[in-house]
Amino acid sequence: MGRPGFSPRGGGGDRGGFRGRGGGGFGGRGGDRGGFRGGRGGDRGGFRGGRGGFRGGDRGGGFRGGDRGGRGGRGFGRGGRGGMRGGKKVVVEPHRHEGVFISRGKEDALVTLNMVPGESVYGEKRISVEDGEKKIEYRAWNPFRSKLAAAILGGVDKIHIKPGCKVLYLGAASGTTVSHVSDIVGPEGLVYAVEFSHRSGRDLINVAKKRTNIIPIIEDARHPHKYRMLVGMVDTVFADVAQPDQARIVAINAHHFLKNGGHVVISIKANCIDSTAAPEAVFAEEVNKLKAEKIKPQEQLTLEPYERDHAVVVGCYRPPAKKTG
Amino acid sequence: MAQSMFILYEHSSGYALFRVKEFEDVGLLQPQVEASVTDLSLFNSLVKLAAFSPFKSGTNALDNMNSVSEGLVHEDLRLFLETSVPKSTKKEKVIVGVGDSKLGAAIVEELGISCQHTGVVPEIIRGVRCHFPNLVKGLTEQSAAKAQLGLGHSYSRAKVKFNVNRVDNMIIQSISLLDQLDKNINTFSMRIREWYSYHFPELVKIVPDNYTYARVTQYIKNRKELTEDKLEGLEEIVMDSAKAKAISDAAKSSMGMDISPIDLINIELFTSKVISLANYRKGLAEYLGSKMHTVAPNLSTLIGEQVGARLIAHAGSLTNLAKYPASTVQILGAEKALFRALKTRGNTPKYGLIFHSTFIGRAGTQNKGRISRYLANKCSIASRIDCFADIPTSVFGEHLRQQVEDRLKFYETGEAPQKNVDVMHKATQEASVVQAKISKKEKKKRKKEKRKLDETGDASTTAGDTTAEMEDINGEPPKKKKKKKKNKENGDISMDVTADTTMETTAEGDELDTSGKKKKKKKKNRETLEMSMDVSANATMETTGEGEDLELSAKKKKKKKRMN
Repeated sequence: MGRPGFSPRGGGGDRGGFRGRGGGGFGGRGGDRGGFRGGRGGDRGGFRGGRGGFRGGDRGGGFRGGDRGGRGGRGFGRGGRGGMRGGKKVVVEPHRHEGVFISRGKEDALVTLNMVPGESVYGEKRISVEDGEKKIEYRAWNPFRSKLAAAILGGVDKIHIKPGCKVLYLGAASGTTVSHVSDIVGPEGLVYAVEFSHRSGRDLINVAKKRTNIIPIIEDARHPHKYRMLVGMVDTVFADVAQPDQARIVAINAHHFLKNGGHVVISIKANCIDSTAAPEAVFAEEVNKLKAEKIKPQEQLTLEPYERDHAVVVGCYRPPAKKTG
Repeated sequence: MAQSMFILYEHSSGYALFRVKEFEDVGLLQPQVEASVTDLSLFNSLVKLAAFSPFKSGTNALDNMNSVSEGLVHEDLRLFLETSVPKSTKKEKVIVGVGDSKLGAAIVEELGISCQHTGVVPEIIRGVRCHFPNLVKGLTEQSAAKAQLGLGHSYSRAKVKFNVNRVDNMIIQSISLLDQLDKNINTFSMRIREWYSYHFPELVKIVPDNYTYARVTQYIKNRKELTEDKLEGLEEIVMDSAKAKAISDAAKSSMGMDISPIDLINIELFTSKVISLANYRKGLAEYLGSKMHTVAPNLSTLIGEQVGARLIAHAGSLTNLAKYPASTVQILGAEKALFRALKTRGNTPKYGLIFHSTFIGRAGTQNKGRISRYLANKCSIASRIDCFADIPTSVFGEHLRQQVEDRLKFYETGEAPQKNVDVMHKATQEASVVQAKISKKEKKKRKKEKRKLDETGDASTTAGDTTAEMEDINGEPPKKKKKKKKNKENGDISMDVTADTTMETTAEGDELDTSGKKKKKKKKNRETLEMSMDVSANATMETTGEGEDLELSAKKKKKKKRMN
């Protein structure tokens, strides 16, 4: 998929995937995520929340809350029972991005090396491959449930998350994508996972219990000074906060914690910022806001067909000045 | 005058204070700092570690972290600053750079050290954060990460554990469960109808109500065994003799097929489940009603418990609902329609969840939008009162409800409603009376409890003496119990005395506020130590029995708290 283009790859048929991700949570009501609550932002008091199916907890918490529709959301890598179980036919090869892998079997899938072999975090498929004597386990990464995975499959040039990296992850929700990021950065790296909702924070803490490179922070990302004691300098800020003022949120977090020349990867949901304007205009405006905050945008791509009206913007914070002459 | 600058850096392993060299130069040339923070050797020449005090333990770190994130000066931080920051002299002014304006203000207030959080400070803190493990001896990257990990877990756990909206969550869950139960009972009842209709198809027409139908099926069982002597019981269930007669007639000439006993048993089992579910639903509705009346009395009097609960559930919590503008409350629950309308530039919806209020249905077609707007206004007022009032009463809710009624009447007949100012004035007066009563009752209750702890003779001693004694008592719990027993005998007489004194103290409106505040404080400090102090405060009140002393003792209490 071309880089900045808005290719119409996600036609009618592909939309099914989109809905499948949201729905299935509880009685299929998950489909309406990102309605009013998502759009209004401020009314939730924090971030995220409109995401899961069945609402009922504190903001977004709901029954399964940020779990993004729960188990119903598969529809990926279901090549029959045991289709990706590994074994003879599956070959795992490294992806262009360091730390990410592709499993080639009946169906190709994005996978990451499982840090905690034998356990899946949110019911995803595990693929174990025998490499000589030891067994290596990978976890499938569903682009319909993770915007980072969608961006990778969409062909983003660089994700700026690689083994040994320190990542500040804003909007961690239940820790589905965070678990994959923690796989990528490995035991040498660190993921500071910030989430405001208590309900999904509970799940996040449970994920972090098993993975020692995740530091869970249940706090509002609007106030980075509240968690300044917990976070060191990071290489990358990943933000998936879906708030009207998300550019500002990212910027103040970058001012606090992002090292010079570090990168930001932001997923923008057009509806959450302005539901009436055209998505392209919203993205352009957000990019301009980032520019004003010393974040130099480097690339932008839409997440079609995995998400509707979403874009991922990659930028560089305080890029090193080019030496002239 | 020369200036010397320090930077306070809070790390998860401890507090650190850095001395910034060549402050003036740095202040002038910001871009230079920016460049020098990236390079460790350059940065090393810029700042130097002045002091470092590690946290003693995990819990100690968590304590400090909580204070830091709230912008308060923890005892440890105070000690650290007092010992390591040199005093400002005439020649040299000391400035401490901090990461948070709130913390800076607190330090200025408590320690008198001038603080700064803007300008060059954030840049230096960035640099410190970047090179921290290199600046502090004995701290490696790994151990820093370990400290962060441990503190992050404990902080987040504490956050999740301490949920402000605990009561609201119960309401939210129970209203959701109520909806779910309604849905399920309906589908289950449909199943019973289908199932039992093989045997007795005519019954559906005679008994249309789901719950009664289930009960009737449970009672009749096999229609062929429905004899005259069973008629009385049937009448009790359907509450209509004509209907009971019709059922027994239909049973005789039914076109339904015969049913085997084992099938019948299965139907009956399921029916009894549905009936118990329906009964449970009733109980749940009552529970929700009582919960709503304690949590949001005004809101529930205004629009009813269920609609109120739905509003709270949709907002996420009562606090969230109170923060909404009335326009949002008006269309809460109609988001889909709203966004469709915004996108297509059509008409926005008039009402969301509040449509279920009876007021909307009673209004004429033209006035539906108006009354919805008006009701939403009142709802948001009611929710704010519920959320932020110290002593919740339903007085305002009743008045607001009356206002909406009047407004409805105005739309119909043109009869002018009362002015809002007058109504609110009246309501505040009434509310203050009710609140006084409630607080008096609470006080009595509390006193009763106190009495049990305190000996009657102690009440006459001065405040200072009692606290001393109380500490003694705290030290020796068995003694306390003895006193309790004694007290039960004298209880009645002493009770009367206290009741009289409190009457006096709370009779006037002015003192109301202080008593309210006091109550709040009391609530907060349920610890035993504080308890003893409360008792001492009460003791003075009883001896003098005057309002002025009440205030005084409250102040005393405050002071004592600080000393603690």
